[in-house]
Amino acid sequence: MSEPILEMTDVSKRYRTAGGFGRGRKGFLAVDGVSLHVERGEALGLVGESGSGKSTLARMANGLVVPTSGTVRTDGQDIARLGRRGLRRLRRNVAMVFQDPLASLNPRQTVRQTLENVFRAHGETTSTAELVALLESVGLGADYLGRYPHEASGGQLQRVAVARALALKPDLIIADEPTSALDVSVRAQILNLLADLQRDQGISFLHVSHDLAVIRLYSDRVAVMQRGRIVETGPSDEIFRSPQHPCTRALVEATPEAELPA
Amino acid sequence: MPDPVLQVEDLCVSFTSGGVTADVVRDLSVRLDGGRTLAVVGESGSGKTITGRAIMRLLPRGASARGRIVVAGREMLSADERELRRARGSDVAMVFQDSMSALSPYLDIGAHIAQAVRLHDPSVTRRAARARAVEMLDRVGIPEPAGAVRRFPHEFSGGMRQRAVIAMALVNRPALLIADEPTTALDVTVQAQILALLRELQREYGMAMLLISHDFGVVGRAADDVLVLYAGRQAEYGSLRDIFEQPAHPYTAGLRAATPRLDARLDTGGERTRLRAIPGAPTSLRDAGPGCAFAPRCGLADQVGERCVVEAPLPTVRPTSEGGGPHLAACHLDRLPALKEVAR
Ligand SMILES: Nc1ncnc2c1ncn2[C@@H]1O[C@H](COP(=O)(O)OP(=O)(O)OP(=O)(O)O)[C@@H](O)[C@H]1O
Ligand code: SF4
Ligand SMILES: [Mg+2]
Repeated sequence: MSEPILEMTDVSKRYRTAGGFGRGRKGFLAVDGVSLHVERGEALGLVGESGSGKSTLARMANGLVVPTSGTVRTDGQDIARLGRRGLRRLRRNVAMVFQDPLASLNPRQTVRQTLENVFRAHGETTSTAELVALLESVGLGADYLGRYPHEASGGQLQRVAVARALALKPDLIIADEPTSALDVSVRAQILNLLADLQRDQGISFLHVSHDLAVIRLYSDRVAVMQRGRIVETGPSDEIFRSPQHPCTRALVEATPEAELPA
Repeated sequence: MPDPVLQVEDLCVSFTSGGVTADVVRDLSVRLDGGRTLAVVGESGSGKTITGRAIMRLLPRGASARGRIVVAGREMLSADERELRRARGSDVAMVFQDSMSALSPYLDIGAHIAQAVRLHDPSVTRRAARARAVEMLDRVGIPEPAGAVRRFPHEFSGGMRQRAVIAMALVNRPALLIADEPTTALDVTVQAQILALLRELQREYGMAMLLISHDFGVVGRAADDVLVLYAGRQAEYGSLRDIFEQPAHPYTAGLRAATPRLDARLDTGGERTRLRAIPGAPTSLRDAGPGCAFAPRCGLADQVGERCVVEAPLPTVRPTSEGGGPHLAACHLDRLPALKEVAR
């Protein structure tokens, strides 16, 4: 079996805080000894309440946040030991999609410039045909190349953000609440798009969300986080059919169903 | 039949900017009795908040409302400032998604609630108003209310702050509560608690509630009746059961199918990871043509033909389940075919 695309071992992150507040006196322990992995082609869903450490964990997975202790390996390589070349490769192989597409795109750049910059940052050139194909893969027409962020809707912008993430053909996409700012009908489009990418292009996903229904629909496996720790992990269907940990149970019970109450 | 707590007739709201006036809400009619909850559902820009604000007569600059709004017997659109002050709080109060924006960072929680009490009845002493605040915080489930009145908004968690805002809105026992996405910013477990609290207080006070939400999950937990808005117009109105079990508007059916569900595998032909999405994005009334605003996204427009594009459908009566109230849908189709065909 090949190595997992992402492997985090006993990873912790302590943020310095002014007053001794939060979990422990020496700063705030946002992530506390977490181990998890994402297999190739797998979609792992990470759920938990706000403040449970999901986003910090996701950001450590691609080097945006440096762990206080523990190791993060992508493709078998310890990212703490990567040189400049290796880091650049990491940025290629692991892409990120955030919650707010408007905040993650430069308002003064057209979609074309945004996408071209990704290639340029890796010393590559690209053609209009390639850019058009990229936009098409996320369901946008060629006319979006000339648009500025304010000229597109939230869902269209999130598609642009996904296109940017796809530009360098990553192996792993880390998506942090990618659909929670979107309208219901548009959210379904983006979730379908992400699911297609996983199935058709074999891209692996670490999908962070507070919405269990989204995670159930979309993930092969689920990890549940509470106060900086992973309290339960397992196949998506199992976790939601028979949640074991009290935290998971509380989350499942509190999730409102778009169904008539019995 | 008792007089409704809220009656809205042919409400239109328009914005004027740069000499151009355009409607954002058109021909809305609603009737809501005490003790009942009407959920207003729709995507962003559909006019949910504007409708809530029109009822409060708290419209942003440049907006104006026409039609008729009656709250607890009071004509809101013709009321003067003095009457409005009296109406807000005792007849109708509003709770917003962002609890922080409803609170001043410089006042403690007790002062906020006491202020609401004294605004409503200036004869109440400061001390008595403060005592009411403690009582009310206790009622909304804030622990150690006597100490909590002295805390400031930023010292509360999001859920506790929303409880405090609810205390402030309900301290004068309004006949109508307008709750605009009251739980959207909260974690699911807290969300469930706040919804339960609202339901409980509503029962206790016999209050009517207009619950604004984009989330069918929240609606299913709390509503008696549902109004679905699309681009500032009424797409469908009916009892919760009729809206969930026999939706008559393609948009309602589409929204339901696009909502991820925890409980069931979706009927997707073996592929569990696909939702039935509605193509395109929600539009506002300003961008809508003369026909049905949903037409560009509707999988059934082809079946009906040109009519969808040239003539805006009016709400017409639809079948109801036993004991259900009125069921109306604004669609040229008399009957909705099976869900599979609804979305393109
Ligand atoms: N201050 C304003 N000036 C001009 N137009 C406005 C203003 N506020 C709202 N609108 C317009 O009125 C329409 C209805 O807006 P409203 O805020 O009621 O939508 P909503 O259904 O509450 O959406 P959301 O789910 O995003 O809160 C929209 O088309 C919006 O662009
Ligand atoms: S009127 Fe036509 S376009 Fe509008 S919802 Fe009905 S079928 Fe669709
Ligand atoms: Mg709103």
